[in-house]
This record gives sequence, structure tokens and C-alpha cells, in this order.
Amino acid sequence: MVNQMEEASLFSTGKFGRFGGIFVPETLVTCLNKLADEFNLVLHDSHFQAELAVALRDYVGRETPLYFAQRLTNHYKNCNGQGPEIYLKREDLNHGGAHKINNAIAQAMLAKRMGRKRVVAATGAGQHGVATAAACAKLDLDCTIVMGDVDMERQSSNVLMMKLFGAQITSVQGTFKDATSEAIRKWVEDLDISYYLAGTAVGPHPCPTIVRQFQSIIGKETRKQAMEKWGGKPDVVVACVGSGSNALGIFHEFIGDEDVRLIGVEAAGAGIDSGKHSATMAKGVIGVYHGAMSYLLQDDEGQIIGPHSIGVGLEYPGVSPELCFLKDIGRAEFYTVTDEEALDAYGLVCRVEGICPALEASHALAYLGKLCEGLPNGTKVVVNCSGGGNKDAKTVLNYQLEKQIASHTCTSH
Amino acid sequence: MAFTAASSSSSASKTQISLTPHSPLTSISPSKFNKFTPPCPLNSRSPSIRCTLTKQHAMVEDRVDPAALLHRPDSFGRFGKFGGKYVPETLMHALTQLEAAFRSLATDDEFQKELDGILRDYVGRETPLYFAERLTEHYKHPDGKGPLIYLKREDLNHTGAHKINNAVAQALLAKRLGKKRIIAETGAGQHGVATATVCARFGLECVIYMGAQDMERQSLNVFRMRLLGAEVRAVHSGTATLKDATSEAIRDWVTNVESTHYILGSVAGPHPYPMMVREFHAVIGKETRKQALDKWGGKPDVLVACVGGGSNAMGLFHEFVEDKDVRLIGVEAAGFGLDSGKHAATLTKGEVGVLHGAMSYLLQDDDGQIIEPHSISAGLDYPGVGPEHSFLKDIGRAEYYSITDEEALEAFKRLSRLEGIIPALETSHALAYLEKLCPTLPHGTKVVLNCSGRGDKDVQTAIKHLKL
Repeated sequence: MVNQMEEASLFSTGKFGRFGGIFVPETLVTCLNKLADEFNLVLHDSHFQAELAVALRDYVGRETPLYFAQRLTNHYKNCNGQGPEIYLKREDLNHGGAHKINNAIAQAMLAKRMGRKRVVAATGAGQHGVATAAACAKLDLDCTIVMGDVDMERQSSNVLMMKLFGAQITSVQGTFKDATSEAIRKWVEDLDISYYLAGTAVGPHPCPTIVRQFQSIIGKETRKQAMEKWGGKPDVVVACVGSGSNALGIFHEFIGDEDVRLIGVEAAGAGIDSGKHSATMAKGVIGVYHGAMSYLLQDDEGQIIGPHSIGVGLEYPGVSPELCFLKDIGRAEFYTVTDEEALDAYGLVCRVEGICPALEASHALAYLGKLCEGLPNGTKVVVNCSGGGNKDAKTVLNYQLEKQIASHTCTSH
Repeated sequence: MAFTAASSSSSASKTQISLTPHSPLTSISPSKFNKFTPPCPLNSRSPSIRCTLTKQHAMVEDRVDPAALLHRPDSFGRFGKFGGKYVPETLMHALTQLEAAFRSLATDDEFQKELDGILRDYVGRETPLYFAERLTEHYKHPDGKGPLIYLKREDLNHTGAHKINNAVAQALLAKRLGKKRIIAETGAGQHGVATATVCARFGLECVIYMGAQDMERQSLNVFRMRLLGAEVRAVHSGTATLKDATSEAIRDWVTNVESTHYILGSVAGPHPYPMMVREFHAVIGKETRKQALDKWGGKPDVLVACVGGGSNAMGLFHEFVEDKDVRLIGVEAAGFGLDSGKHAATLTKGEVGVLHGAMSYLLQDDDGQIIEPHSISAGLDYPGVGPEHSFLKDIGRAEYYSITDEEALEAFKRLSRLEGIIPALETSHALAYLEKLCPTLPHGTKVVLNCSGRGDKDVQTAIKHLKL
């Protein structure tokens, strides 16, 4: 199984079992192949790797801690005082407050090395846009971020930050899927000058592999830190899944370790049967989207169903082809968590650990509520705390106010 | 590593890097840096207190009893004539108890180990010393020469600023003292959020005092504190801002001193707070010394930090106070301008007086009433300043300048554009001073600037003013 995975990343078809691939117009194939070649070169280029290591250490702030969440652990103990041990991989402490920067800085450095002058990226919630704009500012690259007008309104602070970094923001009608299409169009306009910086592990080969590779620092550090802390490996690794980059970032290191359980948690939004969710693994069917074959949320006519989640970064109708493969072969398990459960998890972790996780990461944390009761005493659970939740404070505030009003209305009847 | 409580604080903090079989070569645990070393109390004969009010700068050796420089503070909590314990009788015992607890923890390995672990895994230390290549380029002269600018990345700490270093240590200290209740004051909310954060982490009851006016301006921070489980109490007296919140917090402490620990947010207040808060932030300077050695085999030439109450500056400076070849530069808020009457440049425009339990420079009018300060950055908006800064200024060991709101906003934009780092508006004051400093520096001078906090909290304010 592992060999299949390794082979997939080297071959130019970029297949993970039946998923992945390069479903793109002819104009892009040469370009993508060039990118794949360059990427393979930097993987073995010690000078590039050394420079990247310095950037990750001094600019991004790595390595991020593996934090033992004592009070969260206590919270999940049963009445006999038994339960698993919960550790948080603190990607929220990265520069920019999320894991996105690991990939953005590495790819921006790759773009510079390839002699590109302009970086183009699409962003939904804005996290990837902000990370890319920051990396481009540092490396003195021109930066164009494409964003759907609906998202621009919802994420105005992220838009402001991108502007502060000096990026040009191009607005398109619609949301992330429309922004992605426009970003690719811009890239094609000037393939010699432009570099398309994919934000997550989707898209045509080699994008999923590049993103996964640059995010895999998360899992590598986790292995080393687990060894230092308890002389072993994690038993269970949990991560939220939107398109899959933070999950792959922590899973990848452990794919070959059969004794490490890999759990991805998707957004069930208003409920898995409500039609308003982003649970691609749970409810999707196989199709081709943005250049790759994967599960995706589409209706009977093959039209994309607009996803929904309170964790805006999880709102993507597709999902990483590599994760699809892991699901199909039974190597990783996928579950879902509703908006409300995620919001409650945000509040819990805030209160007991003084850490406010991003609403996206709160989905992974919410799943602990279902996971922990089944685990033997002392099981080592590592949750990828993929981002910080200051950005979500207003959303949580509104939710809590509405809840108060609702309960007040109920009691007064 | 053996702990040493020598009388000279900086010599005891020189790093001994021991590589045990279990510690990887490349990662040095913060435990090497935060063994704080409070100065030994003098014997009972204290030096006489000098009350000269001259504003002339002088060389350290000419003006000051060397013992005063060495023992910062003395057993009365004085830094020269500054500092002390100007508090009601009810608080004296608590302060003495606090000091005794603090000193005993200096030799408590278990406490140190626990604090190390929290600073590493919870706060995210050590923070990097980042070479700001494009900022350095920006300050090069036409002939390509100029200083090298490094940023000490306190913005990367959990909660986004240096404040947490002190909050975490004091919460741990409070627990050791058996206190179940924590109080704190806050202006814009940063210290309040840091305090509420550590109380959540340690399961302590938390009450934050905040001026009613500030609560209105910072409603999101108020919500964050409540989300973290803290109670936020509005203070309506006076101008309903930070100084009033501080007074109210002190009043609460007087009433509840048995059960309550007061987490003061800066190097101000009565002894032992200025010393304690400095020691808890001293990890910043200790890491910087080691990182400077790793990076260029030497020390920084110039240290620059913004000064509100003064905690981030003392945290960086303290390690190097006795290194005469290291220049220490503090940058205050000149607000609308030093002559506008709307600023917070205490060390430039203030007079000596007593505020919140300590003698220090402060902004007061001819009737001794506190002048309401102003700065675009709420964290620098304090009419006093830590007594140790007042002392360092008077003896000429540290230099203090000021930067206007406008200059700070330009610096905010500049660092964002050049390095992809959005600095807090407070920090932006230090960054703005580079415009004046760098043209005067010889080629290759190593400048370390304390990037004390990140600026996403300030984006809305900045954008309004910058009209982007």
C-alpha cells in the first residue's frame, strides 16, 4: 500500500489509486510537468532545503510544540478517572496563525527559484490568500489574489491584510470555486512570468503532491516530539478535513505505520441530511473537479453543490485525491461534525485550555467527544490544531448570543 | 544546570548549553534561559537615597553608586530613587509574601521545570531571532552600506504578544501560593486576554478590571475574555480608562488579599512587581544573547523596543544592561506630537512622582493630577512608566525617544510590505525609530528590535488612517 503511494508521487500521472491525475487543457500540461520537474529537483537540493529550513524556523516560527492538554484530557476522563491522553499539535502558533504558511512560503521560494515574478492564488476564507501575500511580501514577488465577491464581503479583515502585504486583489462573481477557475485563467495568460500557488492538496498533479510534501513537516515533527515525550508513536491522529492539506500534513508521516489510526473530520454543517454541509467523503460521489478525480459534492446532473460550514476554510465541494485513496483502501477513517458541535468545542477548549482553536480545527476537537469514550486508558491522541480562532471570535459571539436568546425564549413559554 | 543566585543578574544568566543524550543538537530548550535570577538583597545598611532632580545625562560611572547599578532593585525595591512600595499598610504583608515566594521559587527546580515546559509547549518559546533582509536593504545607504536588522519575534507567542510570558509565570506562582483567585487590570484588553488565557489554562477564577470607555472601544476583547471564562468588571470612575482600572484592581486586592493574587501587566507598580515582571520577561533577552552568538558569534550592538509601561523593553534589555557596549533604546508614544499635549511620552515630558505604588516619571499637571495620555496604540497609552526605565534614563544607561502616531502607522505599513509581518501598533513605534537611527549607524551594526506583538488586532484602525 505504501509503495503504491510512493509510486504515485513520482509518476507524472499523479494518481493515487484511481484518484488524482491531470485533467486539464493541453496548454497546462507542459507547464504542470515543468513544475513537477522543478519540484523534484528542490526536494533533493540541499541548498534550497537549508534555506527553507531557516525560513520555517525564523519566519514561520517552527517547530510548533506538541502540547499536552491536561485539562482537556481530564475533561474526557470517564467516571473511573480513565481515558486517553490528548495532545495538540500547535499549528495555531505559526506566523499567520495557521498551517497554511508552511506551504505558501515553500512554494513562493520555489517560484522565485524558477525565476517567476508574479504569484497568482485563489482563496476562499482568505487564510491561504493572507499566507501567500505575506510570503510574497517577504520574497519581493508580485502577488495577485483572486477571491469570490461573496467571500470578500464575509472576510473583509483578511482582504485588508492582503492589501497591507501589497497584494492585488481581483474579485470574481461567486465563491472559491469561481476564484480558482479565474486564478488558473490568469496563470495561463502568462505562463512564463506567473506561478500558480495552490493552497491545498487538490488540483491537477503535481499540486496535491507539492502541497502535501510541504505540509508534511507537521507529521515529521510530531513523530520526533512523540518519541521525546513518551518514547513512542501517537496511537490516533485526528485532523479536520476541508480539502485536506492539514490532515495530509500530519497523516503522511504515519501512513506506513499501521498501528497509528488516522481520523479525518469533515463539516456536517447544518446536519448531514440538511443539504447544507461540506462532507465530501460522507456524501460525495466520484467526479473530476479542478483537474483531479476525487469524491465531490455534485447533484444528479453533475453540477457542483455549494458547500456550507461554519468553518469557512472547510467549505470546499471536493477533497484531496490522496485522502480519497486513503479512505478507499481503509487506511484512514472519516467522520463528520455539525456547526453546533464545532462551536461548542471552540468554547470548551477556550475555557479549559485558554486556547481558542479556529472553527475549522474545532471540528477535529469536537470529534473527541465521540472518540474518547471508546479508547483504552492512556491512548495517545494527537489532534492537529491547524489554526487559531481569533478570526472566529465574532462568529462564536453571535452564536452564543443567539443561543442565549433561544433558551430565554424557550423558558419564557 | 545549576541555578546561581549571584548578585549580578546578567552573569548568572549566561547560557550553559549542556547536551544530554536526549536533547537533539539543534534544539535548545528554553529551560536554559528562564532561570530567573533575582538580585540578592543588600545587607541591612542601604545606600542613602539621592534626590537630585537634574535632567542632565551623565556617564554611569560618574553619577551612580556602582552598587545601585548592580542591585536593581535594592532591598527596598528601589532603582536609585525610583520604585519602592507606596501602598496602603494592608498590602505590605502581601507584597513581602510575594517577594519571598518569588525568591524561593528561584531555587525550586520543580517550579522551573514546570515553567520551562509551559513556555515551550504552551507559549511556543523560544521565539526566533529573525533576520529582516528586506528591511535591512531598505536602510542601506546609496553605497550599499548599513546596519543589519533583526527582529525578536515575540509576536509568535501564544496570544500574539510578549505579555503571556509574565502572565503564565505569575499564574503558576499564584497557584504555588495557594491562591484561587486572580485579578488584573487591562486597557485595550491585551493583558486582560493574556491573564484570562492563563487562568483558563490553570483553572483559576479570573476577574479583569477594565475602564468602561475601553470596554466600549474593545468589545471583541471583552468577549474573548468572557469566552475564556473570566469576569470583566467595568470601571466607571475617573476617565474610565486604564489608570482607573488599575486603581480599582488595587482596591480589590486590598480587600481580598488573602485569597487573591494580582497579576500586574507591566514593570510598574509596587516592589516586587517591577523586578518580578522583568525577571519573567528576561527570557527574551537571554534567548537573544544565545541566538546572536549562534548567528554571528557576537552580541547585539543596539537593542530597540517600544515603551508603554516598559515590560517588553526590560525583558529584552535586562540581559544586556551590564554590557556597556550594547546600546539600549526605548521608544515611547509621541501621539499627536510632543507639544500637542496628546501623547504618552512619559520619560521625555514627565515629572517624577508616585503612581500605582511606585516612584517614577509620570505625566502630571501642576496640581499633580494625572494627564490623560494619548497614543494610537492602546498598549502605550499609560501615563507612567516602569521605575527601572526611569533609573536607566537618569544614569544615561538607556536612551529614550518618541514617535508620533503617524510615524508609527508608516512603520506598520512598511514592515507589512517588506517582510510580510504585520506588527502591533505598539511595536510599530520601535520600528519607526529605525528611520532616524539607521542613517547614523556604521556599516554592519547589529540591531535587534523587539517585535513585541502582532498587529492583526490593529488592522482596522490602521486601514482607517492609512486609507488603503
